[in-house]
Amino acid sequence: MSVKRKKRMRTLVPTTSMADIAFLLNIFFMVTSNFIKEAHIEINQPSSPEIDAMKESQISVTMDRNGELWLQGKPCPAEILEEGVRALILEHADKLVMVKIDKDVRQEKYGPVFMALSKAGAELALVGQKRKE
Amino acid sequence: MPLPKPKALFEPEVTSFADIAVLLIIFFILTTTFVVPAGNKLDIPSASTDPAASQQKQLSVDLAGSEIRFGPAKRTMSLDELRAALLEREFKKKPADQRIVIVNSAPDVPYGIYFEVVMAITNADGVLALIEDEGKTPR
Repeated sequence: MSVKRKKRMRTLVPTTSMADIAFLLNIFFMVTSNFIKEAHIEINQPSSPEIDAMKESQISVTMDRNGELWLQGKPCPAEILEEGVRALILEHADKLVMVKIDKDVRQEKYGPVFMALSKAGAELALVGQKRKE
Repeated sequence: MPLPKPKALFEPEVTSFADIAVLLIIFFILTTTFVVPAGNKLDIPSASTDPAASQQKQLSVDLAGSEIRFGPAKRTMSLDELRAALLEREFKKKPADQRIVIVNSAPDVPYGIYFEVVMAITNADGVLALIEDEGKTPR
């Protein structure tokens, strides 16, 4: 006696649209990522054992090893620093300013910067590297 | 004349593209390290009307080159000694006006040393005060 095997139905899951989903995810992350604005500025950050991770601010002031000043990653003449920071504080409604200064810059360069930021009404957050002791 | 036979449509296999894209996403999720800024927030009090008078009453740290002097006796000390001396003051138990520490820095002091001193003051719950030199603007 011959036994007829019942033919099983092959299920085909359409997976072509999975590629679209994955690429859309890729595009979403690429568009929404915030890249570091000061990647082109070379600074040697100071270090201390007494620092911790802190809240990131949208406003940043950087001084490179040559004493050049950068506001939001763009060159900024020192004379307009106070005015520029004041405008950014109003724009972002946040007083916190991240200050990144090269460890070899001398006080005659960075001292007046602190004063200008203080006059602009900024709250300073000094950025450095945590050093293990 | 017989018509030419229509060519079969060529359909490239794209299913594996999804695997490649998902693998790319997983790779970037796993290898990405987010930049977490490290540092300390400074509470700088508003300017005193008479900085010369207030400076006499407040604690001060004098920096010249790599030399650190602290306290009324202006004793020279290392950074670790300064940290210990600041912690001994127990600023946390004191009112705000007695927590103020003025940092007098010579023009040649590198930021690396200034940063460490400021971090030591902040860590000991001291409040850093900025004293303005008349006529000095950032250059």
